[in-house]
Amino acid sequence: MSRLIVRTIDLSKVYRRGKVSVLALRNVNLQIAAGEIAGIMGPSGSGKTTLLNLIGGLDKPTNGRIFVDGVDITALGERELADYRLKKVGFVFQFYNLIPTLTALENVEIPLALAGVPKNERRERALNLLKMVGLEDRAEHKPDELSGGEQQRVAIARALINNPSIVLADEPTGDLDSKSALALMNLIKDLNRRNGQTFIIVTHDPIVAERCTKIYTIRDGQIESA
Amino acid sequence: MFVWSIAVRNLRRRRLRTALTVSGIVVGISMMFILLSLVSGMESQARSMVRALGGADIIVSNSTSFRNGMGGPLGALPSPSTLDESIVDAIGGIQGVYAISPQFSFSCSVNGRRITVYGVEPKSYEIVTGGLNIAEGRFLTENSNREIVLGKALMEFLNLTVGQTVSLNTGQEGREQTFNIVGVFETGMFFQEYAAYITLADAQNITGEYGLITQILVKCEDPSIVSDVASAISSTVPGVRVTTPTAVLQQANQMLNTLTMFFATIGLVALFAGSFGVVNTMMMSVTERTREIGILKAIGAKSYDIMKIFLAESLLIGLIGGGAGVAAGSILAYLFPTLTSGIFAIGISPFGMRNPFSGAAGRGWGSRATSAIIFTTPAITPINIIVCFSLGAFVGILAGLYPAWRASRMRPVEALRHV
Repeated sequence: MSRLIVRTIDLSKVYRRGKVSVLALRNVNLQIAAGEIAGIMGPSGSGKTTLLNLIGGLDKPTNGRIFVDGVDITALGERELADYRLKKVGFVFQFYNLIPTLTALENVEIPLALAGVPKNERRERALNLLKMVGLEDRAEHKPDELSGGEQQRVAIARALINNPSIVLADEPTGDLDSKSALALMNLIKDLNRRNGQTFIIVTHDPIVAERCTKIYTIRDGQIESA
Repeated sequence: MFVWSIAVRNLRRRRLRTALTVSGIVVGISMMFILLSLVSGMESQARSMVRALGGADIIVSNSTSFRNGMGGPLGALPSPSTLDESIVDAIGGIQGVYAISPQFSFSCSVNGRRITVYGVEPKSYEIVTGGLNIAEGRFLTENSNREIVLGKALMEFLNLTVGQTVSLNTGQEGREQTFNIVGVFETGMFFQEYAAYITLADAQNITGEYGLITQILVKCEDPSIVSDVASAISSTVPGVRVTTPTAVLQQANQMLNTLTMFFATIGLVALFAGSFGVVNTMMMSVTERTREIGILKAIGAKSYDIMKIFLAESLLIGLIGGGAGVAAGSILAYLFPTLTSGIFAIGISPFGMRNPFSGAAGRGWGSRATSAIIFTTPAITPINIIVCFSLGAFVGILAGLYPAWRASRMRPVEALRHV
């Protein structure tokens, strides 16, 4: 087995909703190797998205540790965590989550701008990535002028722009028709083969599941089979 | 840079809301701008009027203003009443007097043009008043004989140059003399430049009024004792009128400061009201874009980046409001004199006093000066533009601080859940 990219140790997350505590994750020990396309499946409310958010540094666990590339991200402060999100991970959401006022190209450029990359280089790298996802001719279009499949490909380009070691995707095909979903998965497989990036994909979609190199099932806040 | 494009596009996306928010700032800034311009206008007028009184602390003249009724054969300009030169010593002996300069002013035609000519003692004149603003050539000296310094406007009117001669005629028989032009003075006020300076001796010579003077200019040892010295003069020397230009200037400054404070307060209140519009708009913008904030944070934006985006937006509102406010204010300030004939003359009337120096200028060109006071023209100064524009920007930033902070504090997971 190759090098571990993600390792969680006794990871727990409790949400408090008023007086009720909801145990979203309990003692999750997960290991994902570099270069995998890991599918995380399970019924809704099982804690999939919570797990993804924790790995992505969007949320803090109640207990336990998360090591990404050997670094304990649960020990990072807010600023370092933002930096981690910027450089180490890329996010792809179900509803694309592009900035509506910016063009496809500018959306892809945002993480570079946040990282302080100069304008010309930003342009060039973003255009290259848009080409890679097959959207170079849509570069100047705003999100509402793009189809769902196109928007999701822009989102993938944005997730990849800072060369992250992991791309986290939460139901990336959830809002796509099966043809677009298939195209998206083929793109992911292609990127994974070419760049060796690790993908962690939360999904219900069999089209996605079939193309993952490994599936983790989560139920009631626990990993069932690894 | 993407911070600015996001800000610009958000403002454009909600054009009407942006326009309404901006107009709140525009009202405040333009109001501020007009009021400040008005005060500046009054200030510069007050200053020129006081400058017209000369640089002396105190001016002593005969308590009867004019002699010879309405003047000589030409019938135009009367000359001031005279005092005996011995008064100079009396005033010089009063405590607190630093220096004095006697002066003889009279109405006279220069190359056919009737103006006021001042006969002065060059040395003491410069000590007491600080001297004329010489634009060309030089001022008179102690040894000047038949030398004359003319105002720039008069030089241009008579088409003269330094080195030429002019002919002075008092209108009395056989009183025509030729003078060499040695210098040109400039005051910036047209009517003041229709005047000429010669030595006191020459003045007494040409008028034949030996031993007489029309005014005594006094400089005090300290500006703070001017009014004490002035009352000492009027109580010890009979039959004189005492004027204190510096006291007038002080009064004017005091009044203008009060006016500035008053107007600035009105403007600030308007601006304050407008700034709530900005806060409101920015709060709406933050709520509206909660999800966007979540996305940006998820892809690596720091709290500081989010703050910048929203501050850029409110700063832009402030800058546009400041710019438009200054523009609108300038237009209104420009139209102002035609809109309000004379309302503000009430405020400034203390300076509408006659120029005690020269009955001639007081009559001939004084009317021009008086009308200039009545139609107070707002002065659009670079300082006012900068102050108002920066104030707009400042209000923008200030109004954006809390909303931007709120935005930056959002937690990514919760913000992303927002629909």
